[in-house]
Amino acid sequence: MAKRLSERRRERGTSSSAGRERRSKRAQRAHHSAAVGRRNPALTWGLRFLVVGYLLMLVLWPSWYVVQHTFADGLTGIQTALQDPDVQHALLLTAEVSVLAVAINLVFGVGVSLLLVRYDFPGRRVLSALIDLPLSVSPVVVGLALVLVYNGRYGWFGPWLEDNGIQIIFSWPGMVMATCFVALPLIIREVVPVLEEIGDDQEQAARSLGASGWQTFWRITVPGIRWAIVYGVVLSLARSLGEFGAVKVVAGNVAGETQTATVLVQQKYQNFEQTTAYSVSFLLAFAAVLCLIVVALLRPKASKESR
Amino acid sequence: MIWFSLLVLIPLAAIIVKASGGGWHTYADTLSNSQTLDAIKLTVGTSLLVTALNMVMGTIIAWVLVRDRFPGKALLDLVIDIPFALPTIVAGLVLLSLYGADSPLGLHFANTRSAVFLAIAFVTLPFVVRTVQPVLEEMETDVEDAAASLGASRAVTFRRVVLPTLVPAIFAGASLSFARGISEYGSLVLLSGNLPHRTEVTSVRVMSYLEGGDTAAAASVATVLLVVALLAIVSLDIIARRVARRDGRNG
Amino acid sequence: MSIEVKNVNKRFGDFVALDDVSVSLPTGQLTALLGPSGGGKSTLLRIIAGLDSADSGSISIEGTEATHLPPQKRNIGFVFQHYAAFKHMSVAKNVAFGLEIRKKPKPEIERKVNELLDLVHLSQFANRLPAQLSGGQRQRMALARALAVEPTVLLLDEPFGALDAKVRKELRDWLRRLHDEVHVTTVFVTHDQEEALEVADEIVVINQGRVEQVGTPDQLYDAPANDFVMSFLGDVTTLGGELIRPHDIEVDVTPGEPGAIEGSVSRVLRIGFEVRLTVLTDVGEVVTVELTRTNARRLGIAEGSRVYLNAVLGATRV
Repeated sequence: MAKRLSERRRERGTSSSAGRERRSKRAQRAHHSAAVGRRNPALTWGLRFLVVGYLLMLVLWPSWYVVQHTFADGLTGIQTALQDPDVQHALLLTAEVSVLAVAINLVFGVGVSLLLVRYDFPGRRVLSALIDLPLSVSPVVVGLALVLVYNGRYGWFGPWLEDNGIQIIFSWPGMVMATCFVALPLIIREVVPVLEEIGDDQEQAARSLGASGWQTFWRITVPGIRWAIVYGVVLSLARSLGEFGAVKVVAGNVAGETQTATVLVQQKYQNFEQTTAYSVSFLLAFAAVLCLIVVALLRPKASKESR
Repeated sequence: MIWFSLLVLIPLAAIIVKASGGGWHTYADTLSNSQTLDAIKLTVGTSLLVTALNMVMGTIIAWVLVRDRFPGKALLDLVIDIPFALPTIVAGLVLLSLYGADSPLGLHFANTRSAVFLAIAFVTLPFVVRTVQPVLEEMETDVEDAAASLGASRAVTFRRVVLPTLVPAIFAGASLSFARGISEYGSLVLLSGNLPHRTEVTSVRVMSYLEGGDTAAAASVATVLLVVALLAIVSLDIIARRVARRDGRNG
Repeated sequence: MSIEVKNVNKRFGDFVALDDVSVSLPTGQLTALLGPSGGGKSTLLRIIAGLDSADSGSISIEGTEATHLPPQKRNIGFVFQHYAAFKHMSVAKNVAFGLEIRKKPKPEIERKVNELLDLVHLSQFANRLPAQLSGGQRQRMALARALAVEPTVLLLDEPFGALDAKVRKELRDWLRRLHDEVHVTTVFVTHDQEEALEVADEIVVINQGRVEQVGTPDQLYDAPANDFVMSFLGDVTTLGGELIRPHDIEVDVTPGEPGAIEGSVSRVLRIGFEVRLTVLTDVGEVVTVELTRTNARRLGIAEGSRVYLNAVLGATRV
């Protein structure tokens, strides 16, 4: 359906060396900018203080408080929470839904990235703009949208699917779809720039050497974008584990059945089981921060490699 | 493509169709509800304020992260992403612990409009920072040095040379931040108290319509949210372009 | 005839890259596609390789109809201007890639890779990554990789374009020697006429999507088909309204032969062993003339001298 455009391709031929140059320039500039900063110590310190203070009040201190709350009685809080069957079930469900959603997004995300970068077709720009849409739609609206289409009673496709024995809303497929929706752009946003930077010279070379499309994809394309995929997956995982609004709408929120960890936090907190709420929050936050640290540690390594 | 349509396009279309199903009537009815109207006003107003704050703070944070060097900067870089990665419900809880009823600082923001502001500021923190940061990294310090060598003070250099380059990125980040702000739900559930006319935001309205079974009303409020987000993105894009062009002509 | 291109057309939007191109490229020869940038020569090469498809027309390779074959079925070797090295594979793995795809037995692959690395003088770098090689080494690796699959034809797209002048010249000589050893039908694209004249058995001159002329380097240089080929292959000037090469003009200080064109020297420029004169003729033509230093000295030419210009016997004129 799509036609390859070799003009674009040729422009890209030089882009990888340009990228290399840019990176080394950035390294040079690191020294440079220190000198710029030294010019006015009062201003530098003022800005530093402002930024650190702002982040401290907004993010760091509150986060620290959650940790304190969780471990107020040592590990007992977490232990009690983990013995609650509702908590166990919610955590397991969250993990299952997230892993499934990330897997689907991975396949879809890599496919769309390839489509956007390697092919030219009418509507490419529109698609590229639409991909970012889930980032600016309220999770509640996402849930509502899915309910309207897949609801078993009055949805567009819902009744038909239900007649065929597939229930989406108030069941796990709906939760997976909601999670996919909100995390959709993350992998694509990581992979697209890398695909653009590496260009398709290597893929063409592989094809000229007799590799089929499938072989080229696995042997050449995937190794080239593997770090981007890793970041995308980790970010998607963090986002999926933490999805609340959209899942709450489609899940039906039955404790022990379709209640995910985030929904559970809300319920427990409102039922004044604060220790449990804080413990589960801590676990979720810990997973999220762990994901961030993984990305932060991987990033410099990968950019070194591509240089 | 089919998956994308089934997952994103058709459901979103369904909202608009559902909302328009009752003609203008549904809109009129829903929007004349003073509780809904207050929620929309609060959401949009607060998001605008927060976005303005983010444009200033986000640029400053990005500047410090790129140009300054001090121990612990890498940690600070990591902290920026926390609001993005943290589950929103947990974000609400996090803020509640410091600014809630038993706040050690004596700041009792819970169930007030300040809480709404705080929560939105928290979740939208990364956007401007993360769009401005790469532009600042690409920017040549040579240009600043050149301006300085021509006799420009730091303030003048910043305003005439640095800022115009950053403007598109700042506005791009701002529109993301605004869109995220008006759609925020999770972090507000616990923090704002959802008091009708006072601290209830639009997403919460949609939720309560939905829980009450009034999907048409929910869909029409959702449509309003979508339209506002779209308008904001488009108008910020136009402003950014205009600013960039004006600077080009004068500078 | 090894590669037959018939009535090939190719457009990119409004831009006509190839306009009804037909050409036959001989088996076992080293052929250059020569022309200015944007003239369509790379597009033609990519269409032969199957990396681009023609809008209309046909391609056959060694008698096999190939117009609609995908590149991996054409049994070609392709060398890219920017090497297209597989960055995540060692040099040996890069060379082995095509053989692995063809599921050759391991010992055979190993033997073949060693043989080829020897041929391109990269044996000691077998386990390095492409990033650790220089540009010239990377291009030699790319060539070994393309040769590994024993292609029917070897296609090179501006193979030396990204290299600096000295390495370029070395690789050029080396490619010629390599071809004399391996004898695979080879087509390479270049915009450098010196490169084409020096290396190729046959040259196809392509400009604005059309074939201007096909011939051996000597034919092209001595009997260019038109102004474009004449001026693209070397320096030209006008004498008596005709294009002529500056070194094909005879200079005299006395009115000797009839029909000589008279003028005065407005500028004398010495470059090494050669002297370049700018002559303003009495009819108002500006002519550039090249002669040896010895000759210029013998004639005693300086700025302002009266001179009489003639085309030498057998001069190339268009």
